[in-house]
Amino acid sequence: MTDPARPDDDDDALAAELALGVLEGEERAAAQTRAARDPAFAARVAAWEAHLAPLADQVAPVPAPNLMPAIEARLFAQDRRERRFRIGALIGAGFASVAMMLLAVAFLWMTPAPAVQVHMQTADAATAYDATFDGFKLTVVRSAGQAAPTGQVHELWIIAPGKDPVSLGLLQDRPLVVGYPTPPAGWTLAVSVEPAGGAPAGKPTGPVVMATEITL
Amino acid sequence: MTDDPIAEMLLRCAAQDRAAFRAIYSATSSKLFGLLIRILGDRAEAEDALQEVFTRVWLKAARYDGARGTGMAWLVALARNHAIDRLRARPQTTAEMPEDIADDRMRPETRLIATGELARMSTCFDQLEPDRASAVRGAYLQGLSYTDLAARFDVPLNTMRTWLRRSLLSLRDCLNQ
Repeated sequence: MTDPARPDDDDDALAAELALGVLEGEERAAAQTRAARDPAFAARVAAWEAHLAPLADQVAPVPAPNLMPAIEARLFAQDRRERRFRIGALIGAGFASVAMMLLAVAFLWMTPAPAVQVHMQTADAATAYDATFDGFKLTVVRSAGQAAPTGQVHELWIIAPGKDPVSLGLLQDRPLVVGYPTPPAGWTLAVSVEPAGGAPAGKPTGPVVMATEITL
Repeated sequence: MTDDPIAEMLLRCAAQDRAAFRAIYSATSSKLFGLLIRILGDRAEAEDALQEVFTRVWLKAARYDGARGTGMAWLVALARNHAIDRLRARPQTTAEMPEDIADDRMRPETRLIATGELARMSTCFDQLEPDRASAVRGAYLQGLSYTDLAARFDVPLNTMRTWLRRSLLSLRDCLNQ
């Protein structure tokens, strides 16, 4: 496939394929994972991105709407939370988790709620998950389709109106069961595709493939 | 570094300079928006994508390494990668892909005014067979996957892959000369 005199060509061709974006599914995910873990490979990908970038000059610019207010609201609201989190970290992770449990118990105490079912599916209905809140815990099972391809994982998020998504866990072949009270109507459950192991910074990074607003 | 104002703005973003972040949006959003519309083929989705891309610009600015390429090349790669993740997450719609690869060939006037990197790229593209050059352009500007390209050029997927890998390596060798 490549010149045998250049043993690096296979790696370089793979880096080019990733930079160009022609890979799909598991192959793309595996190459992305490798770029995240292997600095030499990442450098090849970056070199290809730089090589190919002049091609983008062929596309005419289109004046963009001013999205900065929305972008800044999203980013800098997050900043405030992170600062609070750092203070929390100083107090001590153990103390924080005890406090979280107390909060969760208090929440459960205050909101006795009936079981609520939430069905989520991809646009083509090929993959679907059913979530059940029974007032104390959330159980999520896949009712159609497959788990994410190797190297990727479906991650479940809950989103309060106007807030950032909070991860509830990774959806694999076994049902996901997490202690969680029934959320109010108007909150949203969503599933994104993340690298194996889940979104690295606790915020969704991959495409959101399904989302359903909770109705009671 | 002084001849790359975008790179300087990225360094300032990495140092949490919000004024630089706004400046980089003013300087580059039209170019990235045009590219996102081209790849995604949908203005509303391109707006969502642009918002996501600039969120990542702020969060990842510290990872920009000026030794590896220009600031604009880094932004373009970030935008393309996000657009292609969106395309690949869509249900397969190979049959509905637009048939306008020919439009992506460099127009003669583009070739005449092309300078610097683009001129070099253009020269190297001219050394590829026309079909293969347009496969590389289709992948870059429309986000076509190997499956899309194999269907478009009516060749088996492995053949397309062999072609494209060879073309990319000869492009590299030409660009490095």
